[in-house]
Amino acid sequence: MNGAQHILEAFRRHHIDTVFGYPGGCIMPLYDALVDDVGVEHVLCRHEQACALAADGYARASGKVGVCIATSGPGATNLITGVANAHRDSVPMLVITGQVPSALIGTDAFQETDVLGMTLGIVKHSYLVEDAADLPGIMEEAFRLAASGRPGPVWIDIPKDIQLAEIDTRGISGPSAEPEAPVDISEALAMLRSARQPLLYSGGGVSLANAEEAFRAFAESSGLPAVATLKGLGNTGPSHPGDLGMLGMHGSRAANRAVEECDLLLVIGARLDDRATGRLDGFAPNARMIHIDADAAELNKLRQADIALRGELNSTLAAFTQAMEAQPLDIEQWQHQCRTWHTTGGFHAADNEDPYAPIIGPAFISQLSRITPDDTVIACDVGQHQMWVAQHYRFASPRHHLTSGGLGTMGFGLPAAIGAQFADRSSTVINVTGDGSFMMNAQELATIRRYNLPVKLIILDNQCLGMVRQQQELFYSNRESQIDLDDNPDFLTMAKAFGIHALHINRNDQIRRGIETLLAYQGPMLLHVAIAREENVWPIVKPGASNTDIIDESQRKRTANKEHMA
Amino acid sequence: MNANTQDTPSYQIYCRMTHEAAALERLCQVVRIRGFRIAKMTMESSGEALNIALTLEGSRPIGMLQSQLEKLQTVVAVVLDNELAEKRDIA
Repeated sequence: MNGAQHILEAFRRHHIDTVFGYPGGCIMPLYDALVDDVGVEHVLCRHEQACALAADGYARASGKVGVCIATSGPGATNLITGVANAHRDSVPMLVITGQVPSALIGTDAFQETDVLGMTLGIVKHSYLVEDAADLPGIMEEAFRLAASGRPGPVWIDIPKDIQLAEIDTRGISGPSAEPEAPVDISEALAMLRSARQPLLYSGGGVSLANAEEAFRAFAESSGLPAVATLKGLGNTGPSHPGDLGMLGMHGSRAANRAVEECDLLLVIGARLDDRATGRLDGFAPNARMIHIDADAAELNKLRQADIALRGELNSTLAAFTQAMEAQPLDIEQWQHQCRTWHTTGGFHAADNEDPYAPIIGPAFISQLSRITPDDTVIACDVGQHQMWVAQHYRFASPRHHLTSGGLGTMGFGLPAAIGAQFADRSSTVINVTGDGSFMMNAQELATIRRYNLPVKLIILDNQCLGMVRQQQELFYSNRESQIDLDDNPDFLTMAKAFGIHALHINRNDQIRRGIETLLAYQGPMLLHVAIAREENVWPIVKPGASNTDIIDESQRKRTANKEHMA
Repeated sequence: MNANTQDTPSYQIYCRMTHEAAALERLCQVVRIRGFRIAKMTMESSGEALNIALTLEGSRPIGMLQSQLEKLQTVVAVVLDNELAEKRDIA
C-alpha cells in the first residue's frame, strides 16, 4: 500500500465517506488511488475555496469531520479562506494538500508554496510529512485532534514522493476516546442558586460538543431565560419559553436588556465575541459570571469569570440538570420580566398587508421560517440577509443554521449548502444569500448541477452591498463608497445557463407562492427576490459601543429629523 | 509601530516543545498575534525536545498568552517565572 492508498484507508477507518476536492499536479497520486477506491465519494467543486467551505458545511450539518483536498501552490492557497473560516468557528476539518517532492522543497519549484508556514495561524495543528513512515501516525493524530476538545482544522501537507512511497501499516490502531474527569459544579451551583436574575448565555460550543440534548434538558429543568450568540441560535429549540433570541450588535432589545439587568451570567460554549458583547466594560455590568467551555484558553480571556469550568459539556450539563430537577430555581418574577421584554422588544417582523408593496427582507425571512419544514437547513452568506435570518428564522437546532460567525466569509453559503446536502441527501437545504455574497462562489452552481443536488437558493437582491451601505449611512455620514452592484448579471439567466430552474419575485403577495414553489420543486432551484435597497438591519449597536447604546429605526429617524432641522 | 519598552511590562517564560517542523515559528506566531514582543530568546535542543527561554514584553495579561501557548500541540509545558515578575513589581 502506498501513501495515497493509506490516506483513503484512513478515511474509511474514520467513517469518512465524502470528501471535497480539486486535483492537480502534486496531489495526483491520491487522485490516482481514488480511481480504484469505492468507499469514498469525491465531490469535485469548481474552486478550492469552495472545497473547504463545502467540507465546513458538511461538518457543521453532520457533526462529522469534513475533509477537503487540493494540490500544492495555488490549490493550497485557495483553500486558506475556507480553512480560516473553519478555524474561527471551531469546525472539525481535515485538510490534505499535495506538496512538491521532498527533494524540491525550498527550491522554488513549480507550484511550491510554504503551506506549513503560511497556515500556522489558521489551523488547530498542521504537519508537513517528511518521512513516509510517519504518515500513518500523523493521519490518526490528525483525525483525533480535529474532532476532540475544541474542534478545528488540521492540515496535512504531503509531498508527492511520500504519497507514492510504500507504507507499513502494521500496528495502526483505530480511533479511541479518552474519557475526561467530571467537573465539580458545586460552587457554580451554589452561585446559580443564590442569583435572583440569572441568565443563560450559550454559543456554538454546545453543538460542537454534540451537547444539544443535554443543553435543552438543562434549559428546561432550570427555566433560565436564555440568550444566544449567532452560532448558538437553535440551542434551546423552537419552544423554550425563556428564549430571548440573539444578543449583541444586531441582537434584540429584549436579549440585550436581559444581559444588562441580570445578576448572574451562565456562559456555556461561548467565547464572549465582541459582536456579541459590544464594549466589554458595559457588558453585563451587574452580573457575576460562570463560564463553562471546552477550551481553557477561552476562560478569563476577555472577562474574568467568577467561576471558570473547563470540561466536557454533556456530563457537566447533566450534573446541572440533575441538581435542577432535585431542587428547581425560584426565579418566577425574573422569568416573567424577561417574557415581558421579549413581547415588547423581541424580533417581530410585521407582515405588510399591501399585496403590491415591495418585499422587505425581515418579513420575507419571517414567512420563510413559517413555511419551511422544521428540519430545514439554512446556509447563510454574510451581510444583511445573514442578520435577518438570525433575527427572524426560528431554528429547531443549531445544526440547521450554517453561518460564518467568526470570519464572516462572503461566499460561504452556497458551498456550505452543498456540503450540508451531501451530509443528508434527503434534507431540505436552502442557501439564503445576498447579491454580493452569491457572486463570490457562483461557480458552484456547476457543482449543484453536476451532482443534481436539490439545493434551493434564495438571493435577496438589493443591488448593493447592503451591510456596508448601512454602516456608511449610519456611521460615515451616508458617504457611499464602492457598494453599488446595480450592474449585477441577470441571475435567472445565469441559473438557467447552469441548468438550474429559477423564479423572480418582487411583490409582497408573491412571497408565499414563491417559497412554496421553491420547496415543491424536485431538484435545484433559485428564487430571486428583489428587495428595497434602503432597508437596514435593526437594531444595531455601533461597532465598539456598548450593547446598551442600541440604535433602532425609530431612533434613527428622530436623529435624522433633528439633523434636518439643524 | 514601536512599543514603548520602558513602560511595558516584561515577563520571562520557559517553554518546552517537541522538536517538530515549524515548532519555533508556531511559538513566535502566537506570541506576536497575542500582543507580545520577543525581547530575548534562547533555545537548546535536547533529544526530541526544545527548551526555550523567552523574555517578552507586552501590556496584555501574560496568563492569556500562557494559555494560548499551552494549546499548541507541540508545546509540552509553559512556565511563567512569577518570582521574577513579582520582583519587578516591587522595584
